[in-house]
Amino acid sequence: MNRMEQLCEYLDLAAFRQRLIASNLANVDTPGYRTRDINFESEMRRAENRLEAETPALRVFEVQGLIERPDGNNVNLERESLLLAQTQLQFRMGVELLRQEFQRITAAVKEGS
Amino acid sequence: MNLMGVLEISGSALTSERQRAEILASNLANAQTTRTAKGGPYQRQLVVFGTRRAGSARFAGILSGLSNRYAQGVEVMRVVPDPTPPVQRYEPAHPDADSQGYVAYPSINPIEEMVNLMGAARAYELNVAAAQATKSMISASLEILS
Repeated sequence: MNRMEQLCEYLDLAAFRQRLIASNLANVDTPGYRTRDINFESEMRRAENRLEAETPALRVFEVQGLIERPDGNNVNLERESLLLAQTQLQFRMGVELLRQEFQRITAAVKEGS
Repeated sequence: MNLMGVLEISGSALTSERQRAEILASNLANAQTTRTAKGGPYQRQLVVFGTRRAGSARFAGILSGLSNRYAQGVEVMRVVPDPTPPVQRYEPAHPDADSQGYVAYPSINPIEEMVNLMGAARAYELNVAAAQATKSMISASLEILS
């Protein structure tokens, strides 16, 4: 897996996590809803060791150890808000790195001409 | 992976929370209503939320199939009347008083409704923040090309 592919994978994972966070936040008042998440690090590691032909299958799990309300919902607003900010920054970082990668290629092309 | 569907999830929460706030406001407004179209005092309404699958079937594929399975929006499943019997108050002069002089008032506690309304407002704000975060991520991804 080259650097560009790694960054794409990184952005995909961040976008997927954002989706889960949005879902958790949307269901903050839904009885019986359980907080869902992925393990970013292990998913990234798995993606790096994956063969190209393999289809990605992310492991989504229900987060344990959160305080459950009487209606069976265990969404923690603070946890989700922090993750929201973190994921947003991770995504921006991925975008910035990818942009630099493209700029390097562009520079190399221009040098040759 | 598309981020547009994430906006849809947050949007579903905004709609649902607003509907909930509307119902709560209606409960508050009708706390003293003794006459309704179907007769009797106003009945307090309760909102039931349920998960909804984000319906972006256009983006087929494994990743979006997966995210549709796990990432869900929310919707108002039902609005049900509160079965609590009305409160009887002795007001013989009231036009809606029964033969014993009691008037049936809806059993609505304004404080409870206000607390629920605050919860709805807070959840709404939170989902606006989520939508803004997603929006900034989408605009950041557009910068790759610039």
